[in-house]
Amino acid sequence: MTATTPAGTQPRRGRLRLDGVRKVLGGKEVVSAVDLETEPGEFLTLLGPSGCGKTTTLNMIAGHLTADGGLIEVDGRDITAIPPHRRSMGMVFQSYALFPHMTVADNVAFGLRMRKAGAAERRRRVADVLETVGLDGMAGRHPRQLSGGQQQRAALARALVIQPDLLLLDEPFSNLDAQLRVRLRDEVAALQRRIGTTAILVTHDQEEALAVSDRIAVMAGGVIHQLGRPQEVYLRPATDFVAQFIGEVNALDGVATGGGSCEVAGQRVRATPVGDPPAEGARARVYVRPEVVRVGAGTDTEGEGLRGTVRQTRFLGSRIRCVVATSAGEVTAALPYDARVPREGEEVTCSWRPSDASLAARG
Amino acid sequence: MAAVGRVAGGARVSRPRRRTGLLLALPAILIFVLLFLAPLGTLVANSFRTQTGAFTLGNYARFLGDPFYRDVLWNTLRVAALTTAGCLLIGYPFALYLRGRSARVRNWLALLLLSPLLISMVIRAYGWLVVLGPQGPVAAVIRWFGLTPPQMLYNDTAVLIGMVHVMLAYMVLPLMGSLDRIDPTLVPAAKGLGASGWTCFWRITLPLSAPGMLAGAMIVFSLTASSFVTPAILGGPKVKLMPYFVYTQATATLDWPYAAAIGFVLVVVTTGLLLGYSRLLRRGRGEVVFA
Amino acid sequence: MTRLTRVLGGAFATLVGLFLIAPVAVTVASSLTATPYVTFPPQGITLRWYAEVFAKPEFLSSFALSAGVALAAAAVSAVVGLAGGLAIHRHRFPGRAALEATLSGAFAVPTIVLGIGLLQWFAQMGLASSPVTLLLAHLVLTVPYAVRLVLAGLAGLDRSAEKAAAGLGAPPFLVFWHVTLPAVRGGLVGGAFFAFITSFDDLTVALFVVTTDLQTLPVRIFNYMQYDYDPTVTAIGTLMVLFAVVAVVVIERFVGVARLFGADTEERS
Repeated sequence: MTATTPAGTQPRRGRLRLDGVRKVLGGKEVVSAVDLETEPGEFLTLLGPSGCGKTTTLNMIAGHLTADGGLIEVDGRDITAIPPHRRSMGMVFQSYALFPHMTVADNVAFGLRMRKAGAAERRRRVADVLETVGLDGMAGRHPRQLSGGQQQRAALARALVIQPDLLLLDEPFSNLDAQLRVRLRDEVAALQRRIGTTAILVTHDQEEALAVSDRIAVMAGGVIHQLGRPQEVYLRPATDFVAQFIGEVNALDGVATGGGSCEVAGQRVRATPVGDPPAEGARARVYVRPEVVRVGAGTDTEGEGLRGTVRQTRFLGSRIRCVVATSAGEVTAALPYDARVPREGEEVTCSWRPSDASLAARG
Repeated sequence: MAAVGRVAGGARVSRPRRRTGLLLALPAILIFVLLFLAPLGTLVANSFRTQTGAFTLGNYARFLGDPFYRDVLWNTLRVAALTTAGCLLIGYPFALYLRGRSARVRNWLALLLLSPLLISMVIRAYGWLVVLGPQGPVAAVIRWFGLTPPQMLYNDTAVLIGMVHVMLAYMVLPLMGSLDRIDPTLVPAAKGLGASGWTCFWRITLPLSAPGMLAGAMIVFSLTASSFVTPAILGGPKVKLMPYFVYTQATATLDWPYAAAIGFVLVVVTTGLLLGYSRLLRRGRGEVVFA
Repeated sequence: MTRLTRVLGGAFATLVGLFLIAPVAVTVASSLTATPYVTFPPQGITLRWYAEVFAKPEFLSSFALSAGVALAAAAVSAVVGLAGGLAIHRHRFPGRAALEATLSGAFAVPTIVLGIGLLQWFAQMGLASSPVTLLLAHLVLTVPYAVRLVLAGLAGLDRSAEKAAAGLGAPPFLVFWHVTLPAVRGGLVGGAFFAFITSFDDLTVALFVVTTDLQTLPVRIFNYMQYDYDPTVTAIGTLMVLFAVVAVVVIERFVGVARLFGADTEERS
């Protein structure tokens, strides 16, 4: 899978590689053999429920935890055993972790001080970065005098001012109210693309991951279930977990008939295989998001799609939800508001573009 | 992610880090082993010895068998109980009064309440000697009424006054905590149901502040029972209290084993009370309700 | 009715306030009396008794001893308390639970019992009484407070802040210096001041540890009081009250006095 490269200047630094990284905590393997490679300047998200190993992975990248196995490299340099203070990672914590006894300026200058930057340089860079994050004028305040959003910006400034190899974001938006969360995540994403620093975001919020990432690694049980662009991960989930964790999905069980084809309850449907296509005759599963399902009147001429009877339609504001009873089970479609709404009881065919659905082997 | 919360504390517990922990704790451990556990151990061991060092239960038999010392034990408990009652009687209305005040007033009154604890015990007790003494203000007022002032020092009352003075803070602070935790809508709710102000107090405020009262009472009781300085100065030898006899047996009579035995009985009385209290708290999950 | 209760409440609180300050107020006032015996209200005004205090070398040497031991107790308590608090808060080591239990247990044992225990233990060890034994004895009273206050400071510290500092390039020592230490500074200062006051004020333990030529100030006053009833003691008392006021102001600035006295702290008498 290739990553999209960000527009604008392309930095040469910030290529992270994890190779078979493992971590055991309290006798339990919380991260098992994680492989990951970023492009320089990429925004990559580790997405998963709590306990999936995403924060542990991030802490190993930052050096706060030592990997029990595997290799961590930045720009070809092995940093697996290097302590955090000799890595160059800018990290933003869920709690922001601002130093409560220091002003915003001192917080931001801390990393520069540790790098023995001169006073004049410190002042200049602190002023610059505070302006970048929109905190000019707040330099003399203490963290407790800042709002949640401002604290977040201060933490971001502190992480960015050291011009880190990687920007590590540990659930940085989860303590903000919904509106501010959306605004700040978009700001951070835009800023990251402008600066071009490789960023690793850890979150359990799938919408956030979809909105800001170049690529998403969906994690569960200490392994990466799928790594891909947001559209890929959303439209073509590789596993049940990915399909279910990110929104609603129709999962149709059938038998692979070669290539992207699958026979479901005697009818042929098409989808894009994730990885190697399942062998002919193998048990397979098709994942289709409700948004991509089209509901056509009568029987489709192409002989593809699932025939069924409309069970229920509901107007939900932005979408119209339509449940069709087929021989393969119920299929849910989320139709745009201007689509033709079938009557309940009408005979219809559900279809989709093969590139909008995924086909995976079924265990 | 619970696992990550333990990062530096739990995840990296390798042998060198355990050693760091032990090394850091070592001074504190040494102090407690050599200056707390060892002296107490010596004390317990000595209490089972005769003056010449042979094993005996005689010290305890003597303490429990002698009506004089039974009287001392009884009087210690009595003075402690009276002090507790006095603190409750003054402290409860005081805590209620503080509840309705502004933060500023509360702070000042709290500081006033704590002031006896910040001033040298000896000086504080000496102050009471002056206040209650024959040349003091109380005697002056009594004389002004044309009466002869009674002897107000070197008796239970003097000790009681001095102890309530110091202990009041220990009663009021937990009481304030308890009162502050009472849902402020409860009383208006009860009034809405037709309860009078008095009924509200008896049926709601008082029962709900019981944990604070109990905590305060336990602390005041056990601290008073083990107090030495204030009773020694205000009561003198005439007020028979256990700590005073621990002192005289150890320094005047030089009967160390017997002093140790009295001291150990005192520990049993006071810590037994505190242990019982913490057990009570744990069982009731901190909410003790009047039956 | 409410007005009446308010007036009654105010009157009651005033009475309690008077009761609380009575011994100190009377001590301070009567230190100025011109009479050769203590009386209140004072008759005439003189500073003679203050001159008397400074004319008595035994009081001055006792003050020096008390202050020296108290300073040492404060310093040692702060250091031991910091190390112990750090160990308990973030390390597992054999004996950790026992140490914690002993720390809280130390509050429950009557000081007089500790005093006589120390007397007998020191005698058994053949330790003659000296300023050092006095300091050791006081540490048992003061270290638990220091540890407790340090632990409170550490509990309020976000561990992420230390990680953040490390990530920004601070080696472990600088993380400790710039992030951990500031978080416990209040507790440390409070613990040290508390140790100073406790040690300076202690009579109970000192009575068991002292000899006739090694008397702390409280012991000196206690003994003086047994035989003399002149206003010298009230003058010393006033000086010590002033001393306490200064200490309180300083503590209040750093930690807040009310926080020092949890509801379950204990009088050392």
